[in-house]
Amino acid sequence: MKKLLRAAAVAAAAALALTACGGGGGTTDPANVSPTGEVKPREISWLLSRPADGAVINIMKKLADDYAKDHPGFALNLITTPDRPSYIQKLETLAAANKLPELFDTDATPFAQQLAKQGKMVDADKLLKSLDIYDDYRPGALDYQRFDDGSLYMIPFQFELEFIWYNKALLEKAGVSVPKSLDDIPAMCTALRSAGITPIAIDGQDRWPLERYVAYQPFREAGPDFVQKLKKGDASFKDAAGQKTVTWMAELGKAKCFQDGFSAQGYSDAQNQFTSGQAAMYNIGTWELPSLATDKLNPAVRDDIDFFTLPTTEGSVTAANEFVSPSGIGMAVNSKTYDPLVSDFLKFALEKYPAEYAATGALSPTTNVQTTIPANATPLYKKALETANGLGSKQAMPWDTQLDPTTNGRLQQELVLLVQGNITPEQFTQTMDNAIEQNAPKFFK
Amino acid sequence: MLPNRSRTSVLVFLLPPLLLYCAAVLFPILQSLFLSFFSWNGISDMEFVGLSNYVRMLTADDIFWRSFFNALIYLAICLVLQLGGALVVASLLTSLRRGRELIKTLYLLPAVISTVAIAFLFVRIYSIDPVGLLNQLLHWVGLGAFERAWLSDVNTVLAAVSAPEGWRFTGLYMLIIYAALIAVPKELEEAAVLDGANKWTLFTKIRFPYIRPVWITTTIMATTYGLRGFDIPYLMTNGGPGQSSELLTTYMYKTAFTSTDFGYASTISVFIVIECLVAVGLILFMLKRKADS
Repeated sequence: MKKLLRAAAVAAAAALALTACGGGGGTTDPANVSPTGEVKPREISWLLSRPADGAVINIMKKLADDYAKDHPGFALNLITTPDRPSYIQKLETLAAANKLPELFDTDATPFAQQLAKQGKMVDADKLLKSLDIYDDYRPGALDYQRFDDGSLYMIPFQFELEFIWYNKALLEKAGVSVPKSLDDIPAMCTALRSAGITPIAIDGQDRWPLERYVAYQPFREAGPDFVQKLKKGDASFKDAAGQKTVTWMAELGKAKCFQDGFSAQGYSDAQNQFTSGQAAMYNIGTWELPSLATDKLNPAVRDDIDFFTLPTTEGSVTAANEFVSPSGIGMAVNSKTYDPLVSDFLKFALEKYPAEYAATGALSPTTNVQTTIPANATPLYKKALETANGLGSKQAMPWDTQLDPTTNGRLQQELVLLVQGNITPEQFTQTMDNAIEQNAPKFFK
Repeated sequence: MLPNRSRTSVLVFLLPPLLLYCAAVLFPILQSLFLSFFSWNGISDMEFVGLSNYVRMLTADDIFWRSFFNALIYLAICLVLQLGGALVVASLLTSLRRGRELIKTLYLLPAVISTVAIAFLFVRIYSIDPVGLLNQLLHWVGLGAFERAWLSDVNTVLAAVSAPEGWRFTGLYMLIIYAALIAVPKELEEAAVLDGANKWTLFTKIRFPYIRPVWITTTIMATTYGLRGFDIPYLMTNGGPGQSSELLTTYMYKTAFTSTDFGYASTISVFIVIECLVAVGLILFMLKRKADS
């Protein structure tokens, strides 16, 4: 109730503010990345959606303190909302009120693209080039942040690879091996189930993990373009790639791939199932390396854990070294409040950030630094980091950053029903195609 | 009749709360009404669309109707648990000689626990993997066949999210009804008993008619709270699986803050306001008619 009240209050404030200022857009030119004038220190804010005690926040805090030493009066106010759905609501409401802070996090969503079109965000392509650090970035890290038209408005702070982690001992017990094709997975689940093992642990509560699975088959079958066409209504779930993923998801459900009652289980529930040796597979990114590839991992399963990357399929148009490799939520720079100070601070922080970040054992979005492997790491840690060196040029985009928000919400709901067997693949196809037809035009005019 | 001067002073004292009420309640409602005629995603220009949001809501939106009927079932379950449960417990309490305070406190306890804690508690209770309390109990009493993932099963999830809300406020309404019940004059009851009334007659002919005004108030309170129910379903299942536990309130919230369709969300909220007013009107009408007959 409190959440609702707060949201209502923000909405009311937003509406008031909007009528007050008539919805005026940014006043400065988004392409002007090097504002001239004096650097006048003040407090600036960054509205972000990252773990409160995570590496990004800790490093940026430290860099801001360093910067403040030479620029008395400067402060970086970090306002974090790690829970993504709440964060997005906050961001959208503030955007509606035209009250976005100097820096804010967003994925390359249709909503963000509208903000960019209205000139509310600084052109990150030009910004990074003017700071002469553009070429340091991994192409994949920047591509992840780009909109469909190739424009870049967000700056990445991470680089992650998503793997399917598995428990060798459990696979052996069920007499199955690592799947060679995505199409092998349903049969694999059946074998694991009959050996009394939960095949895949999944966080159903947060919904995006299940949505990852729906992206896999089309990425192999038709490449990264499929979802870009699908979201605009130029492709449909009735197409070959669409039907393949719908049938496959239904098969995963029929083979009982996911733990019972998964839709009500959270992030840590799923991870616990895997790390306690109950579930055989777990699909998660390198941000979990500290808990999956160090001595923090349960000793009982530590030697049995390994990972494989997204399997290909027969006739796959994307290669085995191409899979989901997100650079996390990006940081956008508000063009309205962009001034010499913001520009100067970004120059200072972005140059120093990669080295500090790599020292924490994480993959930097740039290639100019070497990641430090922590002292307590298992050999898997190194293997995971090295995978980043051999990536192909295409990457599978998570669909939740691609679809318009209403279709995305509907897809997340219908996927659970499809996997639970509450609706047929035909019903799913029909409902989703209708949803796209109804909602896409509003966002992709 | 108050003398003139004091009537003015009463009005002066009533004015600030009235203004506050207008600013906090009426103004947002009117603003929603205004917004409901527009198509607006928060950052685009507002586009006047007339009644088309209402047409879409009433004729073309399957989720809207689904959530409306879900909300009615949710309300029914909450009312049975809250009012029915409260009446039974309060009646039993009046016949208790000792330990009343302890039982009252115990029943009231859930009402003071934070909603988030209750939601998490019940997620655990309903869980199947690891086995939660409910499934464990069923297993122990030999009803293992009924074990299920209560929050993932489309047939049980709505009842499963309604029950915590009902359970939570049973104690509160129990307290109100109990206070009304002990105010029933003892002479009336004794006279009825002397005339040969049994316990049931005593309840239906003496006690209940006596507490009717309080009953009306509690029914209205419980109904409006039930129609506005949001937090527990939102926290436990977020409306899922599919739309099985989607209520009008959660749907409105998502439409506004996930889909950023503020115009259409306002249309739904106007519907919720009307629905609440109609519900209260119906309750007053039915209970009045009964009292008159």
